[in-house]
Amino acid sequence: MSPLLKLTSVTKSFGAVRALKGVSFDLRAGEVHALLGENGAGKSTLIKVIAGAHQPDGGTLEIGGQRVTQLTPQAAHRLGIACIYQQPALFPDLKVSENIGLRLEPISLLRRINWAARRERAAQLLQRLGADISPDAEAGSLSMPEQQLVEIACALGAGARIVIMDEPTASLTQTEQHRLFAVVRDLRADGVGVIYISHRLDEIFALADRVTVLRDGESVGTRDVVARPSSVVRRVPNERSARPHPGPLPQGEEVSQPATGLTKHATFADPLTTILPLPAGEGRGQGERVLEPAGLSDSSPPPITESELIRLMVGREVSSIYPAAESEPGEVVLSLRELGCTASGVKKITLDLRAGEIVGLAGLVGAGRTELARVLFGLTPADSGEIQLNGHPVSIRSPQEAVTQGIAYVPEDRRRHGVILEMPIAHNLTMAIHPRLFPGTWLRFGAERTHALEAMHDLAVKAAGPDALGGSLSGGNQQKVALARWLATRPRVLILDEPTQGVDVGAKSEIHKIIRRLAQEGMAVLLISSDLPEVLGMSDRIAVMRGGEIVAMMPGGSDAHAVMAAALGQDRGES
Amino acid sequence: MSFRFPKSAVLRHEAILLLVLVLEVVFFRVAGRNFGTVDNVANIVRHSVEIGLLALVMMPVILTGGIDLSVGSLLGLCAVLFGKLWRDAGLPWEVAALTTLGLGALAGGFNAALITGLRLPPLIVTLGTYSLFRGLAEAITHGTDAFTRFPETFLFLGTGRIAGVPTQAWIFVVLAIAVWLLVHRTTFGRSWRAIGFSPEGARYAGLSVGRRLTFAYVLAGLMAGLAAITYTARFGTAKADAGTGYELAAITAVVLGGTSIFGGVGSVHGTLLGVAAIAVLSNGLSRLPATMSNAAELSGLLTGVLLIVALAGGALPGWIAARRGRRNATPSVPATSGV
Amino acid sequence: MKRHFRELSVTGALLLLLLSLAIFAPNFFEPQPLLSRLTAAAPKLVVACGIALVILCRQIDISVGSLFAVCSVSAGLLAAAKLPLPVAVIASVTLGAVGGALNGALVAGVGLPSIVVTLATMVTWREGLRLTQQGVFVNLPDGVQWFGLPMAAGQGIVCGLALAVLLALAYALRFLSVGRFVYAVGSDAEAARLAGIRPRLVTFGVFVLLGALTGLAAVMNLVQSPQVDPGTGRMLELEAIAAVVVGGVAVSGGRGNVWGVLAGFLLLACITPALTYLDVKPYWDKAIQGAVILLAIVADGVRRRKLNR
Repeated sequence: MSPLLKLTSVTKSFGAVRALKGVSFDLRAGEVHALLGENGAGKSTLIKVIAGAHQPDGGTLEIGGQRVTQLTPQAAHRLGIACIYQQPALFPDLKVSENIGLRLEPISLLRRINWAARRERAAQLLQRLGADISPDAEAGSLSMPEQQLVEIACALGAGARIVIMDEPTASLTQTEQHRLFAVVRDLRADGVGVIYISHRLDEIFALADRVTVLRDGESVGTRDVVARPSSVVRRVPNERSARPHPGPLPQGEEVSQPATGLTKHATFADPLTTILPLPAGEGRGQGERVLEPAGLSDSSPPPITESELIRLMVGREVSSIYPAAESEPGEVVLSLRELGCTASGVKKITLDLRAGEIVGLAGLVGAGRTELARVLFGLTPADSGEIQLNGHPVSIRSPQEAVTQGIAYVPEDRRRHGVILEMPIAHNLTMAIHPRLFPGTWLRFGAERTHALEAMHDLAVKAAGPDALGGSLSGGNQQKVALARWLATRPRVLILDEPTQGVDVGAKSEIHKIIRRLAQEGMAVLLISSDLPEVLGMSDRIAVMRGGEIVAMMPGGSDAHAVMAAALGQDRGES
Repeated sequence: MSFRFPKSAVLRHEAILLLVLVLEVVFFRVAGRNFGTVDNVANIVRHSVEIGLLALVMMPVILTGGIDLSVGSLLGLCAVLFGKLWRDAGLPWEVAALTTLGLGALAGGFNAALITGLRLPPLIVTLGTYSLFRGLAEAITHGTDAFTRFPETFLFLGTGRIAGVPTQAWIFVVLAIAVWLLVHRTTFGRSWRAIGFSPEGARYAGLSVGRRLTFAYVLAGLMAGLAAITYTARFGTAKADAGTGYELAAITAVVLGGTSIFGGVGSVHGTLLGVAAIAVLSNGLSRLPATMSNAAELSGLLTGVLLIVALAGGALPGWIAARRGRRNATPSVPATSGV
Repeated sequence: MKRHFRELSVTGALLLLLLSLAIFAPNFFEPQPLLSRLTAAAPKLVVACGIALVILCRQIDISVGSLFAVCSVSAGLLAAAKLPLPVAVIASVTLGAVGGALNGALVAGVGLPSIVVTLATMVTWREGLRLTQQGVFVNLPDGVQWFGLPMAAGQGIVCGLALAVLLALAYALRFLSVGRFVYAVGSDAEAARLAGIRPRLVTFGVFVLLGALTGLAAVMNLVQSPQVDPGTGRMLELEAIAAVVVGGVAVSGGRGNVWGVLAGFLLLACITPALTYLDVKPYWDKAIQGAVILLAIVADGVRRRKLNR
C-alpha cells in the first residue's frame, strides 16, 4: 500500500534564501506524523508546499500514489488536504458559519447560498468537536483557540484525508488541548493521516506515531515514537504485524513529563502500514519501523528518545555550549512592583533585575512574556503598579521614553519590527540614536558610516557593507543588526525577545557570547526565549510566566522539568 | 557627496524624467512660438508655483505611505479666510497672511489628529476634509462672495519681479531647498522614510511615529496656506473655488517624480522634475500652433497618460518577474486602507 | 442586532430628518417634486452601489465621475446620430465596463494601488472628453427624453431601474456565492486565496461591474434632460463614496451592505433639500455634508478602537 503522501528531495528557494534544501517525507493513512524543527528549519515552507500554497522548485510530490505537479490550494483541497495554520486563515468580518461554508461549498460563481443549511452544517461540525462556538459569531471576535477549532471543523467537514496542524496547541488551555488530542485521535482512527507540527516534545510523545526532524531546510531523520509513560498493547488481527516495542523510557533530561498524563491509543486503521519499510532515501539510515524483538527486523533502531530528538534538531549535544558568568551581579537596576497592563493581560509583575545579571523569562507561547516586554518598552503602557530604575520610580508611556530611560528592546519578529528590510544597514543601526549621532537633526553621513562600520565589526556582522539593505542579510546577521542598533543606545536594561529564533547554529553561539559579554560589562539583561536549554544555560535567574503572571523564580541552571512544570501549571484555565 | 539613497531604480527614474524634460524643452523651442522668451519662462514659473508648493509637501506625506487629498480644498479655504481677515476683520494684509498660514497648519493638524489619533487611513480622512474644507470655504463666502482689490504691496507677491525673477519664484526656490534639506539631510526625512517602509518597524526603533506623521501633515497644511496667499496675489481675487483639483496635480507630480505611492522611496528633486515636466508640457502646448487652442485639455490628458505609464512602468518589472517566477505568489492586490 | 447597528443608526437619523421635515416643511412630501428629486438622485444611487462593491473589496475608485461623463457624452452622440436608444444604452454600458476593466486590469492584474490608478484614469477621461468635446453640449433629439414616454412614466422607469439594481445587488451580495466572494476578498484576500477563491479575478470583476453600472447611470441621467453637459459627473465619485462610507461600509473591506448604502445615500441626499426647507442657508450644504462624512469616519475609528481593546 502506498503512503497517502510522499515527498522526495523537495527543494524551495525564495530569492537567495534556500528554505528547503531537499526534504523527504511520507505520511501513511491512520498515523500522526510529527514534524519537528527549530524555527526557521523549514517547517512552514514544507507544509505550504503540501497545501499547494507554494510550488516546489525541485523534487517530487506524490499524493495517494499519484505524482502531482502544479499543486494549487484548490487542487490540494480537492485531493483531501486540509491545513490548519498557526494563524488561522479565517475571514474576520464574516460569520463562523460562512467561514466554514466558504471552505466546504464548491467554488462556483452563481450558486444560491442556503444560509439555513450552512448554519446547520456548521453547528453540527462544531458540535462534533465539542466546541462551544456560535455559528453566528463573527470569526474576528473569536479567541485564537476558538478560531483554530473553526479551522479544524473545516477540515472535518471537508472529509480531509490529510490534515496538517501547525502548532495547534500553542495558545490552547489544558482542557482545550485534551479535546484537541481526542479529535486528533478520532481522525487517526478514521484513517486520516495527520501531520502534526509542534515544538512541545511532550505532545509529540503523547500523540505521534512517527516523527521527522527538519534542520536548516533538510530532513535529518524520521523515527518511530513510542508512547510514554506506557504504551498500549494493540489488538491486531494479523500476528505478523507485531505491536511496537514499549522501548526504554526516555531519559527526558531536557523536557518535562507530559503534565497531561495522556496515553496513546494506538489504533491504526491499517496495521499493514506498520510493517512497511520506510521508503528508500528517507531519513538517514533508519530503515524500518520498530518491531517486537521476535519480529521481522533485527537491525532497526530503537524508538527515539527525547535527547536524541533534541540532538537531531540542534545537530549536536546541547550541553556545555553556554558561556558561564564570571562575576557577581551588582546593584538592582530595574525593579518592577505589581506591574500590570489590562490591555495586554500582564498582571502584578514583581521582579528585580541587577546590573550584570541575565534574568531568563521562561514560559509557553502566549504566557505574557512578550507582552511584559512591550509594557516595559512603552508600546502598551502599564496601567497599574510601578517601574523603578536605579531606585527612582519612572513612567514609561512610549518607546521614546523607554529609550530615554535606558531601556532597549530587541523584538521577537525581527523582519517586521527588528530591522527595516528596505533600508541600508547603516540607517538601521543608527535609528535609535538619532539625537546623539545627529545633533540638531542634521544627518552626518560620515559619522553614520563610521558608527555602522564599528558596530558591524563589533558584532561581526557579515554583509556586503553598511549600504547593503537589511533585507539582504541572513537571519543571524539581521539579528545582530537589530541588537547592535540597541547596544548603540548604551542601555542600562536590555530586553531580548527570542534572540536566537531562526538563527543558524554558529550565529546562535556568537549571539550567546555577546549577551554574556554585555552582562559582564554591567548591563541588566532580560532574556525571553522559548528555547528551554537556552534559558537554562544563559540565565543567572529564571522567572517563569504563565497567564500573564510570574509564577516561579528559579536559580540559573535549574532543572528543565521544574521550569516546564511551572510553565504548564496544573491547568492554566481560561483567562 | 552622493545621495544616501542610491536606489538605482529611483535614480534611473529621475534620469528618464530629466531626459523627458530636456526633450520637451528642445521640442517646444523648435516647434513652439515664443517658448524660450524670458517672459514665457517667467510665466511657466508663475503658473506652477502653487502646484509646486503643494507637491513639495505632498512628497513627504506620500513618503510616509500616506496621502493628503485635502490640500486643494484647504488652499481654497485659506484663500477665503485670508480675504475675510483682511477685508472684514480689517487686519493689515501681512498679519492676515501670517494668520492664514497658522490656520492652514491647524487644518493640517486636524488631519493628523484623525490619522494618528484614531489610526484612520489617510486616504479616507483627507477625503472627508476635502469635502469639509471646500464646504467651509463656500459657507464663508456664501458661495458667491469674492475678495478683490487687494493692496499693491500684496499683489506684488503674485505679479511682481525681484531681479527680473517673479516674486513667488524666490519663495518657491527657498522652500524647495528647505524641503530638500528636510527630506534628504535631516532625521525628519530619515524617519519619514522608515515610517513609509514599515510603520511598526519605525515604532519599535523608538522613533516618535505619531509626531513625525503629524509634522508631515501640518507642513502640508501650512504650505496650502502659503499657496493660497500666492494664488490670491497672482489672480488678485480670493474665491471659494480656488485651487480646485490642485491636490490631484500635486499627487501626479510627486508620483511622476518617482516617489512610491507605497511609501519609503522617492526624492524631492524627482518631485521638482515632475512639476517641471508637467508645467513645461502645458505651457509648451499652448505655444504650438497646432495645439494652442486646447493646450489645457491636451496637457491634462497627457499628464494622466504619463501617470499611468509611470506607474505601470514602475510596477511592470516586478510583475513580469512574479509571472515568470511563481504564479502562485501571494496576491499583490494592494488594499486602499494602507494608503 | 449589533451587527447592523450602523445601518440602523443611519436609518434612524434619516427618519429623524424626514420627521422634522414633515413637521416643519410638510410640502417637502408633495408627490411631484419628491418624485423629481428621487429621479434626479437615482443615477447617483446606482453609482454608489457600484462603489460599495469596490469598497467591500477593499479598493477604491475615484474615476467614476469622469467615466460617467464619457459614457453620457458617447451615448448622447449616438442618440443624436439618430441611432435607436437601445444601441446608445448598450454602448454606454459597454464603454463603462471597458473603462472599469482598464482600472481593474491595472489594479488586480499589475498590482497598482487603486487610488492612484483611478486618479490617473479620472484625469485622463476628463481631459480627453474636454479635448474632444470642447465643452459643447450635446443636443438630444426628441424621443430620447424620458425614453420618448410621458414624464411620469420616464421617471418611473428611471426609479425602477435604480430599484432593480439595488435589489439585484442586495440579492447577489446576500444569496449568491459570487457576492460572498466579494466579502471574502475584502475581508482577507490571502484567506480567500487559500479557500480557493481567486482574489484578483473578483477584484477585476468588481471594477468591471462598477464601470457597467456607471454606464447605466449615465443613461439614466441622460434621459432626464434635453442636453448632455460634457462637464457632468463632477464630484460624483465623492458623493458616491460619501454615501457608501456614511452607510456603514467599512473602508477596510468586507463589511457593510447596500441597504446601509441606501440609507446613507438618502440621508445625504435629503440634507440639501432639508436645508432649504428648514431655512438654513444652502451654502452650508457642502460643509454639512463634509461634516457628516467625517462624523461617519470618526465613528468607525472609535468603534474599531473599542473593539481592539
